[in-house]
Amino acid sequence: MDATERIQAASQFLLQSPPGEINDVLNDIRNIISDDELLQEGIQPALREYNIEQFTVVDVPETNHLSIISEAARLGPVSEEDDAQERFLDPRSKLSFEFDHLSLEASDPQPYEPNEEHEPFRLALETAALNYLKAHFTDGVIVVLSPKEGSTQYVIQVVANKYNPTNFWSGRWRSEYTVDLESKQVAGKMLINVHYYEQGNVQLATTNVISFDLPPHVLSAIPNNTAASKILALIEEEERKYQVSLNETYQEMGEKTFKGLRRALPLTRQKLDWDKVLGYKLGAELAGTNKSTLPTS
Amino acid sequence: MADVIDSMLDLMRRLPPTRTEENVNTLVGICPDEADELLQSVDQPLQVMVDRATGREYLACDYNRDGESYRSPWSNEYDPPIDDGAVPSSKMRKLEIQANEAFDTYREMYYEGGVSSVFLWDPEDPSGGSNFAGVVVLKKTMSPTMPYEPSGSWDSIHVFETVERGRQAHYKLTSTVMLQLVTRKGTETDVKVPADKKVPENWKRDGEVTLSGSMTRQTEQDWPLQDSASHITNIGKMIEEIEIKMRNLLQEVYFGKTRDIVYDLRSVEDLEKARRQKELQKELVGFIKR
Repeated sequence: MDATERIQAASQFLLQSPPGEINDVLNDIRNIISDDELLQEGIQPALREYNIEQFTVVDVPETNHLSIISEAARLGPVSEEDDAQERFLDPRSKLSFEFDHLSLEASDPQPYEPNEEHEPFRLALETAALNYLKAHFTDGVIVVLSPKEGSTQYVIQVVANKYNPTNFWSGRWRSEYTVDLESKQVAGKMLINVHYYEQGNVQLATTNVISFDLPPHVLSAIPNNTAASKILALIEEEERKYQVSLNETYQEMGEKTFKGLRRALPLTRQKLDWDKVLGYKLGAELAGTNKSTLPTS
Repeated sequence: MADVIDSMLDLMRRLPPTRTEENVNTLVGICPDEADELLQSVDQPLQVMVDRATGREYLACDYNRDGESYRSPWSNEYDPPIDDGAVPSSKMRKLEIQANEAFDTYREMYYEGGVSSVFLWDPEDPSGGSNFAGVVVLKKTMSPTMPYEPSGSWDSIHVFETVERGRQAHYKLTSTVMLQLVTRKGTETDVKVPADKKVPENWKRDGEVTLSGSMTRQTEQDWPLQDSASHITNIGKMIEEIEIKMRNLLQEVYFGKTRDIVYDLRSVEDLEKARRQKELQKELVGFIKR
C-alpha cells in the first residue's frame, strides 16, 4: 500500500470509531501505520468529518455551556480556495470560534451578529429545547440554529454521550430536526450507537428518519413563543414514540429472530444424550421434526 | 509501544462487527507480514459452500482452507480441486466422519436448520500420540423474504485441543459466537394508531436497528476416555454446555445491556417531573414527622 492508500485506510478506521473511543482507535492506527508524520498531516480531514458527523461536543470559551460541532453550525470559508480558518457558531452565546479537530478545543471566540429577523423565534425554540433537554437527558447538549442564508429551516440538534470505559461500554444519542416554516414541515433523524466490549465486541446501531407536516394549531401560533414550545412538544412525542418502538423491536428480535436462530434447549427440553447421538445418524429422528425439512444427505 | 498485532486486535475489538471482513482485508493490505497471525486471531463470519460430490452444504473457514481451496467434511474433497491439499490421516478422518455426523444431529436439535462442519487435524509431532486438535463450526442465517422482515445470523466457532493422559483426556476449548440481528421499520409496517391518538399529517418514518457482535470464552476440562469416539462425546458435552452459557450471555448483553444504555442516554419518563415529585415527597415526609 502506498502512502495515500494507507491514509485512506486509516481514515476509514477512524470514521468507524465507537462513541468516546476515537483516541483509542487513533492510538491503534498510529502503531499500525507507524508513520506519525504521514498520519498527522493526512488524518485531519477524517478527524474533521468525524467531529462534524458525530456532533462532537465543545466547551465554548467564555461561557459555561457546551455546544455542538456540526455542518449546520459551520461558518465559511465560502470556497475551498479560501484560506480563512473554518469557524463554528454557538448561537446561544452568539460567539463563533475556531476548532482544533484533534485536541477538540475551541479558540479565538468572536462575537457573532445574529440575523435579526430569525433570532426571536430561534431564541424561543432554544428556550423550549433546553427545557425539553432537562426533562429527558442527563448528559445532553442542545443547539438551535437560525436558517442559513437562502434557507428557511431552523435546525435543532441534540447529542447525549455516556462513556464508561471501566465497565467497558459507551453510548451516543444524536438527533437533528429541521423546522421549515415556509413548507410547514418538520424533518428529523435519530441515531443511536452503543458499544459494549467486555470480553467481546457488541454494537447497537440504529437509524430512524421521520417527517411530518406542522399541524394547524402550531401554524396559527407562529411566531409566538407558544409555537416554539408546541413544536418541541411534537419532537418530544416523536422521540418518545421512537424509544417505545425501539423497545418493541428489542422484544421482537429477542422472541423471534434470536430464538429462531438457536433454541435454548432442544424440543425434548433436555440436553443431548451424546452416547446415543453417536449411534444415530439423523438428528431428526431424535427431534421428531418433520422429515421434509431434513437436509438431503 | 505495543506489538502491531496487539494494536490490530484492539482495533478489531472497537470497530463495528458488521464490517469485520472489510476491515481485516484492509489491515492485511497495510501489514502483509502480520496477515497470518491476524487471520488466525480474528474470527470472521463463516461461508456456506456446497460439496460438489454430495450436494451437501458445509462451512468454509480458515481451518479447512488450503491456499484458495476449502475441504468439505462430507467428501474430503477440496473446492476448487487441488492435487496435494492437506487431508487428515485415515485414522483421524474416521473420527472426523463420526464427529460430523454427531454434530449434524446437535445442529438439527438446537438450530433446526443451518449448517455444521467439523474439521480435525493430526498432532503436529507424530510422536505426540493422539493429542489432536480440531474445530466445530455452526452457522444459521435467517434471511428476510420481505423488506421489513427481521433478519439475522449466528456463527459458532469452537476450536479445541486434546491432551491424552492415560484413561483421561484434557481439553482446551476456545469458543466464539458471532451474532447479528437486523430489523427495518417503515411507515407501512406500523400498526394503525387509534383514532383518539393524534398523528400529524403526512407522518412518515423509516428506520433500521442493527445489533451485531461477537463474544469469546475459553474453557478447560478433563473427561474420562474409553475409546477414540469418547473424544466426540466429551467435546460434544463441552460445546453444548458453553453454547448454552454463551447464548444466555448474548441474550443478556444484546437485549439487556445495550437497551439499558439507550435508556441511560435518554429517559422516556420526564426527569424534571420525577425530580419535583421527589422533592414534594420529601416535604410531605418532613411535614408528617412534624
